[in-house]
Amino acid sequence: MPTARINNQIRRLRFDHGEMTQEQLAELAGCTRQTIIALEQGKYVPSIELAFKIARVFGVTLEEVFQYSI
Amino acid sequence: MTISQKTAWIQLVIFGALVIGWVVLFSIKGTIFYWQDETMKMTFYWLCAAAFIALVVMHIIAGILKGRLKAVTDERDKSIFRKASLWATGVSYSVVAALLLVLAIIYMDSGSETVPVYFPLFIVIVGGVTLLLTQSITALLLYGRKVSHADS
Repeated sequence: MPTARINNQIRRLRFDHGEMTQEQLAELAGCTRQTIIALEQGKYVPSIELAFKIARVFGVTLEEVFQYSI
Repeated sequence: MTISQKTAWIQLVIFGALVIGWVVLFSIKGTIFYWQDETMKMTFYWLCAAAFIALVVMHIIAGILKGRLKAVTDERDKSIFRKASLWATGVSYSVVAALLLVLAIIYMDSGSETVPVYFPLFIVIVGGVTLLLTQSITALLLYGRKVSHADS
């Protein structure tokens, strides 16, 4: 069975939004900086709630932040 | 490092030190049956009491810090600790079952039909320490690995 993978564009979106720091994003999304680091490194797959919060911080759709690939 | 990671490290240090203390104590006396020697019994209880007091103090301080600071823990920490707790429960049950079996064999072999009153307490303490140690180690390992919120 092929392995599914969830990629994200958080790092790029942070830089597109005035070089937002991980700390600022964490504060706006209501999580810790360590979680943002883990997300950017692909070490954490977030809940749908956190995914929506992050997308809302950047003012984009969920698919623009997270991509699902098989 | 999040507060949850720090508490996992502190918990590991506290209970790692307790286990080292036990190993030293048991190797000096040459037996794990601490209740057979009054000095050994008191040392064993003092070591356990010191570890559990340190654990309580750590959780009080962590609780105060969590109340003061914002977003010190989040869903990732909770996911990791849920997973770690599941592993820890499984391991501690296995250790308790193995310990019961080993001690039962030792006592049956010695021809005794009764077990000391300290026997269940010893098993509970070992089970509890195993639970906390395994929880800390698993949580710290999971912080370095890929975790999915959906898996927890």
